[in-house]
Amino acid sequence: MEQVQEKQRTEEFDASEIEYVSYGGEHHLPLIMNLVDQELSEPYSIFTYRYFVYLWPQLSFIAFHKGKCVGTVVCKMGDHRDSKFRGYIAMLVVIKPYRGRGIATELVTRSIQVMMESGCKEVTLEAEVTNEGALALYGRLGFIRAKRLFRYYLNGVDAFRLKLLFPQPEELHPFLPTMADRDDTQNHDDHSPREEYSELHRHL
Amino acid sequence: MDWKSTEQASMERHAPNHSSSSSIPATENTVWADASPLLETVCKELRDGELIHGDNFNLYAAMSALEIMDPKMDSGIINKYASVDEAIEDGLAPVPISIDKTVDVQCIIDIIDHLLACEATWHKGHSLAQTVFSCAYLVRPERTLSHALLDSYCKVIRATCKAVTTIVSDARTHEEEDLFTMSYGLPLNVEGDEKCLSLLNAVEENISRQLRACKAPLSKRKPLEDIEPLQTNFDLEEGYCKALLCRLRFRKHFCHVLTCMRRPQGRGLELARKHIASCISELGSILNSAEFLMFNAYGTCEDGTEDRTTASGRQAIGFDANLNSRISAPTPPRSIKILSWKKAIKYFENLLHHLDIICSYPLDPSLDALLHFVAQFQKAQPDLVARVHLQLLLVQDGKLYGRYPILAVIIRAARLTEVIMRHDILKNEYFVQLGQIVINMLKILCTNAAWQRRKLGKILQDWRAIYSQLELAFRKESGEGSSISNGENASAGILKHILIWVEEQTYWIAHRFLVLGFELELYSPSEYCMVYWYLSVVLIRLAEKKHLKMTVSDGSAKQKGKKRKDSPKDLAREARIPPAISFLQCQICLAEGLALLLAALRNELIVLQSPSPFNSEHERFLQHFELLQKACIPDLISYPSFKESTSCARISSVVMYNYFKDAQKIAKEVKSSFLNDPDRSAELRILEQVAEHNSVALNVISRAGALDPSLKVSFEFIHHPYFATVVVKRS
Repeated sequence: MEQVQEKQRTEEFDASEIEYVSYGGEHHLPLIMNLVDQELSEPYSIFTYRYFVYLWPQLSFIAFHKGKCVGTVVCKMGDHRDSKFRGYIAMLVVIKPYRGRGIATELVTRSIQVMMESGCKEVTLEAEVTNEGALALYGRLGFIRAKRLFRYYLNGVDAFRLKLLFPQPEELHPFLPTMADRDDTQNHDDHSPREEYSELHRHL
Repeated sequence: MDWKSTEQASMERHAPNHSSSSSIPATENTVWADASPLLETVCKELRDGELIHGDNFNLYAAMSALEIMDPKMDSGIINKYASVDEAIEDGLAPVPISIDKTVDVQCIIDIIDHLLACEATWHKGHSLAQTVFSCAYLVRPERTLSHALLDSYCKVIRATCKAVTTIVSDARTHEEEDLFTMSYGLPLNVEGDEKCLSLLNAVEENISRQLRACKAPLSKRKPLEDIEPLQTNFDLEEGYCKALLCRLRFRKHFCHVLTCMRRPQGRGLELARKHIASCISELGSILNSAEFLMFNAYGTCEDGTEDRTTASGRQAIGFDANLNSRISAPTPPRSIKILSWKKAIKYFENLLHHLDIICSYPLDPSLDALLHFVAQFQKAQPDLVARVHLQLLLVQDGKLYGRYPILAVIIRAARLTEVIMRHDILKNEYFVQLGQIVINMLKILCTNAAWQRRKLGKILQDWRAIYSQLELAFRKESGEGSSISNGENASAGILKHILIWVEEQTYWIAHRFLVLGFELELYSPSEYCMVYWYLSVVLIRLAEKKHLKMTVSDGSAKQKGKKRKDSPKDLAREARIPPAISFLQCQICLAEGLALLLAALRNELIVLQSPSPFNSEHERFLQHFELLQKACIPDLISYPSFKESTSCARISSVVMYNYFKDAQKIAKEVKSSFLNDPDRSAELRILEQVAEHNSVALNVISRAGALDPSLKVSFEFIHHPYFATVVVKRS
């Protein structure tokens, strides 16, 4: 896409120069789309973006540097199994020259903050097992690697399902367990189509 | 906006003009109308950000919407061919490939090689449609009938794919590898394919004669033996005959392997091993043929010879990756890379090696031995096809290997005698359930590690539940206040044995769940402390139950036997700890040592943990051990107990009660008991190594002083897959 090699590999800036904005409407949509499309080999349909930012605008954030869009996070939340209200981080992108400076962490933190305040019990996402940047970032925020998903991505790479559990009020001691649901073919916890946005944490 | 009326109006306006230029003819049930004008109008009227809603079309559904005519989303927009027939018309798969017999043979060998590469790619987790059946020759069986070699080979391939697909379907693992069995629209049941081996034999016979003929000196050739040679270049005849023969023979033997291994009750395993050996031998010959084939390649060879999918390096004729796109899915599948020919051969060698291990297993009715075998087998991370063969061997018709009723296996594992089998209590519902639970566990143990761990975590609830049921039954049988070891109450006795065994098994599953987490890299170093702590707790319980099982059975055996004086030898035997328990104790010491060392390091601030903004270690503890906690494995163990056990850990105290030294000692003492068990011996050696390393590291840390900033301590799995070796470096 960009044929001109940037002179500097990283952009020089001060952290205070980055402006974080909550998703504000249609005018932000093309910015998010361009950012994500730029960083990924396969573009997603506009409907995918709309699904997230229309239903959960308060969970999406954009990072600007001097008016230029340099990063974004796109999320959702909803009822999950066992009536757990759960947040899901669908897309997180920061353009290359701005990486490694905590922008992604800041974006994610803001979103998780809103999830927590909205009553979510936990937050989840998938990341490639080879994506060290993402794993380190989420690890620092308190996510654990809850599961490994074998050959989750079509290129054969495994994924980790990362989960963050918010502190809960003290619960009663669990009573006798019942037979587990044996018909449970292990689908993904999310109802979302598997491949739709599973790649989106690739580039951090 | 009233969509219906606008549409009608639009159609009325445009129908007369457009019906004559409509390119899609009407059929019995459909009439096509051009909707372009309607869409144009709608586009003008909709503002930015507005969407058309429908009862069944919400934003979520919209995500699965296709963008028509976008090649990344619409299978209908195909790169080259609209259908297989169009591809064939275009000359994709000529029959014969060339009128020049030498070229024809060369090309067929290329096809055979590329098919092998496709097959290996399929086994590795891609779809049949994009791999093996990207071959146009396979997809139109009637076209190859005139060419014996090509035809018989295609039949064998289809038959093999069908057999393997069936095996994987039968195993019903529902693993993530769901692409494997998708065969919609593919010709897997072609009439005549069942004769593939006899046809292949005939072709093989013919080529053997051709080989003999070309090797016989000219003067000695009898006129009766005037066989038409395989191809036209006499100098190359031997090379091409041999190259073909090893490929045909590999296929034949591979078919036999599959057939033999599927014979019930493991009756075909010995014969399967012979065919496996033949397969491996033929694979060797196939590899060796590469030099000859590359040397005689015509045209240009592919660049990057390491990626080549044929021995000759040429591209095989007759393949198109998108041949089946339209029957596969509405959205085009992502392009995949076919394995290289060399990697494909390596894959099959590996597969055959794993199948051979399965075939060599002596079908031991001891459950303990079987569990150990399966755990060992899984260490090499075998692929799906090997694993389903193991599963199908282990569990047939609700019996172990199709031979031993699962209940009899359980009875034996619980150290009860076979006489018990006639007891009425075994007809109870919960024993049936127990049998099912054990079978389920065996199947799960054959799946891939990631899937396996999740399922093992889930079945812990089942094991807990059955334990509760059996416990209730036991209480009923033994009545209130009656002695537990009342030999006259057989039912209670049976239940007691079963209960102990169920508990032991439950802890075994829990331990496997925990250690698989290391293999799958689910734990970050900051979590090792709690994992080792929990592991030590589970292992202690496991050892307890195992030991109890052994002593209870010895005890009851003693009671049943005639009364005799205890000889000193008997007493000594009882006092000794069984080797299996010592083995566990060695692991317990290692786990405890590591947990306490990690805790001490953290307590003395050598390993700093920056707190996470959203939760604490408590939440991470709850998450990692949720399934164990839910099943009360073990009971009364919680995060506070973990904190209590580890908050006072200091380097000085860890040195004093040196668990690593204890582990070393136990490993040394128990070595001699495992001389006949190479696997366990090997593991003991490694445990000893880890213990020794860690003991030394501990001393280094303690001597250097806890807060020495130049000390860098890390935990690495350089010797053992889940017991870390402590590595100390000075920065």
